[in-house]
Amino acid sequence: MSWQLHRVDDRLIHGQLVIAWGHVYHPQRIVVVDDASAENEWERDLLASAAPDAEVRVRTVAEAAREYAAEAGAGGGAFLLVPDLATALALVEAGAAVPRFNLGGLHYAPGKDKINDYIYLDTADRRAARALIERGVALEVQDVPASRAQSLTALDPLIATA
Amino acid sequence: MARVPALLVTHADLGAALLRAVAQVYGPVDGVEVLSNEGLSRPALEQEIARRVDGWPAGGLVLTDFFGGSCHTCVQSVARQRDVAIVTGVNLPTLLDYLHNRDQYAVWDLAERLQKKGQESIRLQRGQNV
Repeated sequence: MSWQLHRVDDRLIHGQLVIAWGHVYHPQRIVVVDDASAENEWERDLLASAAPDAEVRVRTVAEAAREYAAEAGAGGGAFLLVPDLATALALVEAGAAVPRFNLGGLHYAPGKDKINDYIYLDTADRRAARALIERGVALEVQDVPASRAQSLTALDPLIATA
Repeated sequence: MARVPALLVTHADLGAALLRAVAQVYGPVDGVEVLSNEGLSRPALEQEIARRVDGWPAGGLVLTDFFGGSCHTCVQSVARQRDVAIVTGVNLPTLLDYLHNRDQYAVWDLAERLQKKGQESIRLQRGQNV
């Protein structure tokens, strides 16, 4: 079964992922795709310690794209996690056939517009989102399994013209 | 011995509520800072934590609500290069024990004391027919 959730979340592994999503899907592996974290031993250890019930793999975009298809056929379930839409797009452009991304947390930073309580986007984010959609990747906004998934384009009409 | 300062980093307004609750038992509380992760990205939360602990002249304690949450992982990142001890799973008994002992212990000794206190604070009692 492998890939159970592909998520964009700037907090990477944290309570919502491990407690809320983890208790629904019980993933055996969590693949964090982030070039900066992959090259930092401290970050890798930190991410691993945040999900004691799963094997945490921290990968660069290039590594994750290479391993994506094999993981899709692996036993047990897996989550894939990226920190932002630019990384999501880079992963897809590098060859990972991700069908959809769950947008779970892109928090406020200067210059970003509020889409809802946990999603804030600027022009670069919107361009990445549009490029993903044009590649056939669905983008759904949903923080936890108990809340309703909403299409990003329905929440933010500016995506269409980004 | 110098007082060990503390920062409480939690989800939502748990930290502020804990501090209000503890004040009802202990009396007015000073020297404990509170920070919520609400609305903050990972870098922003790390920056807010760093700004507070950097004001401590000789280290201190950061208390977080649960191990593995964003509050905790961000504190871990910040603690990497600072004289900070982290205690996860903060509750009312732990916070009270901190207030009662923060002038008598060094940072790490106090952290160990609070861990023990927190673990001992969860007890079971049977009601009728259980």
